[in-house]
Amino acid sequence: MNLVGQLAPYETEVAGAPNAEFTVAPPSVEDAARILDLACERGLRVLTWGGGTHQGYGYGVDPDVVLSTHRLDRLIDWSPDDLVAVVEAGVKVSTLEERLAEKGQSAILSEIPGGATVGGSIAAGISGWRRLRYGPIRDRILEATVATGDGRVIRAGGRVVKNATGYDIPRLMTGSLGSLGVIGSVALKLWPVALHAATVTVEDPTLALATAYRPIAVLETNSASAVYLSGTDEALDEQIASLDGTRADGHLWPDPLDHNTVLVMRVPSRHTAAAVTQVEDSWDFCAAHGVGEIRIGSNTASSDDANRLRQWAEAHNGALVVERLADDLRSGFDPWGTPPATAGLQRRVKDAFDPVGVCNPGKLPGGV
Amino acid sequence: MTLTAELVDLLGTARVLDHPLRRHVYGKDGGVTRGDVELVCLPDTTSEVVEIVRIARRHGLPVIPRGAGTGLAGGAVPLGPAVMIVLTRMDRIEDVDVESKTAWVGPGVINLELSQHTHRHGLHYAPDPSSQSTCTVGGNVATNAGGLHCLAEGTTVAHVLAVEMVTADGEVVTLGGEAPDPIGLDLRAVAVGSEGTLGVVTRVLVRLTENAPASQTLLLAFDDIENAAATVSAIISEGIVPGALEMMDRVTVEAVENYVHAGFPTEAAAVLLAEIVGTSAGVAAEANRVASIARANGAIDVEIASSPAQAALWWKGRKSAFGAVAQAAPDYYLHDTVVPRTKLVEVLRAVYAIGRKYDLLMMNVFHAGDGNLHPLMAYDSAQPGVLDRVHAAAEEIVRASIAAGGALSGEHGIGIEKRDLMGLTFGPVDLDAQARLREAFDPEQVFNPGKVLPEGSRCFDYGRPPVGAEA
Amino acid sequence: MGWVTPEAPKPEELSACIQCGLCLPVCPTFRLTGDEVASPRGRLTAMSAVADGIAEVDDTFHEIMSFCLQCRACEPACPSLVPFGRAMEGARAEIAAQLPSAKTSLRQSLLGRRGLGSGGAVRGITRLAALGQLAEADRWLPGRLKKPIAGLRRLGLRSTSVIGQTHRPKGTPVATVGLLAGCVMDSWFPEVHKATIATLVAAGYAVSVPESQSCCGALAAHDGAVDEAKALAGTALQAFRDVDLVVSDAAGCGAHLKELGHWASGGRDFSSKVRDVTELVAESISVGRLPRLAERGVSVAIQDPCHLRHAQRIVAEPRDLLRAGGYTVLEIDPNGMCCGAAGLYSVLRPETSSELGDRKAAQVMATGARIVASANPGCEMQLRSSLGSGFRVAHPVELYAEAVGLV
Repeated sequence: MNLVGQLAPYETEVAGAPNAEFTVAPPSVEDAARILDLACERGLRVLTWGGGTHQGYGYGVDPDVVLSTHRLDRLIDWSPDDLVAVVEAGVKVSTLEERLAEKGQSAILSEIPGGATVGGSIAAGISGWRRLRYGPIRDRILEATVATGDGRVIRAGGRVVKNATGYDIPRLMTGSLGSLGVIGSVALKLWPVALHAATVTVEDPTLALATAYRPIAVLETNSASAVYLSGTDEALDEQIASLDGTRADGHLWPDPLDHNTVLVMRVPSRHTAAAVTQVEDSWDFCAAHGVGEIRIGSNTASSDDANRLRQWAEAHNGALVVERLADDLRSGFDPWGTPPATAGLQRRVKDAFDPVGVCNPGKLPGGV
Repeated sequence: MTLTAELVDLLGTARVLDHPLRRHVYGKDGGVTRGDVELVCLPDTTSEVVEIVRIARRHGLPVIPRGAGTGLAGGAVPLGPAVMIVLTRMDRIEDVDVESKTAWVGPGVINLELSQHTHRHGLHYAPDPSSQSTCTVGGNVATNAGGLHCLAEGTTVAHVLAVEMVTADGEVVTLGGEAPDPIGLDLRAVAVGSEGTLGVVTRVLVRLTENAPASQTLLLAFDDIENAAATVSAIISEGIVPGALEMMDRVTVEAVENYVHAGFPTEAAAVLLAEIVGTSAGVAAEANRVASIARANGAIDVEIASSPAQAALWWKGRKSAFGAVAQAAPDYYLHDTVVPRTKLVEVLRAVYAIGRKYDLLMMNVFHAGDGNLHPLMAYDSAQPGVLDRVHAAAEEIVRASIAAGGALSGEHGIGIEKRDLMGLTFGPVDLDAQARLREAFDPEQVFNPGKVLPEGSRCFDYGRPPVGAEA
Repeated sequence: MGWVTPEAPKPEELSACIQCGLCLPVCPTFRLTGDEVASPRGRLTAMSAVADGIAEVDDTFHEIMSFCLQCRACEPACPSLVPFGRAMEGARAEIAAQLPSAKTSLRQSLLGRRGLGSGGAVRGITRLAALGQLAEADRWLPGRLKKPIAGLRRLGLRSTSVIGQTHRPKGTPVATVGLLAGCVMDSWFPEVHKATIATLVAAGYAVSVPESQSCCGALAAHDGAVDEAKALAGTALQAFRDVDLVVSDAAGCGAHLKELGHWASGGRDFSSKVRDVTELVAESISVGRLPRLAERGVSVAIQDPCHLRHAQRIVAEPRDLLRAGGYTVLEIDPNGMCCGAAGLYSVLRPETSSELGDRKAAQVMATGARIVASANPGCEMQLRSSLGSGFRVAHPVELYAEAVGLV
């Protein structure tokens, strides 16, 4: 059978995805592996597509095949008493969180905006605002089933909250931007939603971070700074009393940045306040104190501006990455900046999973 | 030059051990397997490690990294002639960054001493295996060590931001970094828990955790294990994540009580210790809720520690459990599997049955909140044939745990001990992928060969050759 | 060849080790070297290798064993209660029996075949040392002996021995106590004996210092000199047969007397009546037979001799009695790591000893205190020579007796 015939059962259309010879949506991880196997045979470049919300990272891929995960949409298993859910990659974060909320649980993904999928959030390594308290997203992936670049289905990790069995492939997949394969499903560690939540507006986020005991988040935007807390009523009252601020019930997250260009600066957390001073007054930003992530949105920034920010970040042992880039910044500004010294090792690791190089080839730093 | 001569040139005679008796001392870790060591080196610096790796390779010998030798899975026991690199001397704590809450430390730094060192800044290093007073951070990285407080804080991998590693080529690479999510693949995550098979870790950037302003410990006693397990689930599903949640069965409680006199109720079938941490009002409120949850689930005794000293004594009792057992019999085998929390009771029953079947004293003391079981078999190795029974029982426990949807190891690692059981959880394709990942780091198996993955894991029948491999 | 003496490490002593490694961090020689061979677990493994016929009692075995300070810090850390100190004495006895070269130990060559067994010999040495002090001998003595001389108290040329004395309290005695005069204590630390006697008498004890006593035998036992240790144990049993309690103001001697069961029949009963002086004084204070003063702002850094803290497990008492003397007690080391004196270790292994001494001195200096309390003569000397001038090192009972006006 020819390629068209072989891919025909998977043909689909995806709004917003780049034009490609084939746009396909496998209904299972085995089908995803079959598609990747075909891609290997024909030497096709495959771009994996989730919700399309975080495709801006890294070098562009001109794909022969767009592989959408939207048919991988099942909640395979959910054991509330174990606080573990097994979910397919194409499930929308919002859909999952709605289901989990029925029993007062969360995968701590809920504030990721738009139509983001679980698999896409993992592949892009989006940890959300609550990272300060709950850790990065990679620490919540217990098990992963992946169609690797060479067309095989592998499973690694396990459906238990603690595991020292073999190499940590689930964490390796986190933030790999689809360069090793297609994530089929994952087991996620869940958290019980705390009884009460509050947002306290404060003057000085650095001081608030030092004062509050392990808050959920301390965020600073152009307009305000706030400490996010949750726990029992007693704990909240006690914490709020120690902060000099104004209380509002619930967690009031800042609006997502909808600018043409969204850059994410990542620096050691002690540099967060200094990083904020690098942001031009006319841009919007949201800085996660204690984490060291500063998200910056602008419709006017030039590539010189972006390069200046990057220079500052790299000089402070950090990096500046691109979430979304206006067209006029595409020349003169590299999406990654200085590649890591381990690019050679990264390349060998990619080859271990994707020896032919069909999965988002060249997307990672150093063109890996 | 001979291997010894080259290494003595590099390190001097005191830090190269080649006398058979001295090498014999390094033939074992805290587990049950013994191996033969060809030569032991005690480097002081990363560049010495680089040179040792190069010299060992020139002489065609593999390299085994070793920390304090408290591992229980044989991870630091050589399977054939090898040069051992002992990292205990590389024990400097450098650059404690109080504001970012991080520190660069040598692999030989002792886990507990890192927390003691950072105490003055109100910080500690969260992973706290029972061996924390002696085990090293480097060893913790190798096994992705856990501990009592992993329920709330996660295991070592969540507390290691970067590692400096000497690779098979004798290069020094830094995986991970100070800033969140360094660009590129997260190779740091692969290095943590790799049991010394990818390289020699020579520096570690750890994440430090704020000390809690207040804490409270509860002792909950039950007359059957089911109620104890139900209490564990109920506490967690009510939205409370205790700092630690530990269970001891009757045999353990009795042994501990004889040893430490911690005031544990010896008539109980199971005792739970729960530690609540946070701000003082929050802690008091949560402690009361935990107490009422326990009562609602049939606790026969609920006590809240009346003083920090009493709490400390209870925890001392818990941490002394393995030592207390040592007085029951001269040898023990400490197991480590994980099961879904909801399967705890079912698997515990199976574990007791296995103990009866093989006529072994079976005790259980474990991290109930994580479902991380530590069945412990006490025995006397002087008894003929007893080790065979122990190993058979150990394997059955693993099978029972896997059948319940669990994992081979929660925190001890695979090493030699469970290497050949990997096939119980992973298929040949899964193992091949792991073997390829290892090969990407260390194609010639310079580091700790024969560990973690069973022989034949790398199967050349699977998958595709790399581009250009074939004409 | 395996073991050849009845004192050899016993199978049950060796098999008690479960190889957990909890002894490693508290072992001074392991902390200095990072070498498992220099750790208690490693030494037990080496002993087991001999027991199992894998290794011999040879020079390497001797080297491994003699590097041990015998501080016994590993014993309280051991969850499995391995009697490490006993096993090590057994290993030393084997070395003495099997290695002729090791037999003539420095202990003997330094102090004479029966040096510490005879008060006379020590008194002779003392006079020499006193002369040496006058002649500023620490300038010209060989390095090995320099440090011990520097650690000595100022010695008088006149004998200050308390041997043969008896002292009675006012009223009916609480009990009769026999004081172990010891060899170096009697000659080199007369002020400590004086304070001990005065304090115990004030507490209502009748104190005698029997004439017929000799050295306790601790150094011989640590060194594997089995016959000598046994003979000295017999002497002690005889000398103290008529007292209710035997008291020692030197932690090393007290620890040995508390384990005399290994060395003489009837030794176990004897051991049950042995007390360190800090135990008796702290108890007397707690029941009101000795006064308690209010804190008055004088800081004392407390050093725990290994043979007090690890071997006898006495930690609270010296602190209690210092506080009762109105002192502010400052801790120097939560783990009570050995100061490096370790009996004759400071002479046998001067480098290791100095390194540990310097660590200890740094810890003392960090407290800011200028007075250090130590309940063992070897530690006192080590501290004095490591700290240098500007510090006072004294026995806790001395400090207490001074504070309440007994001396």
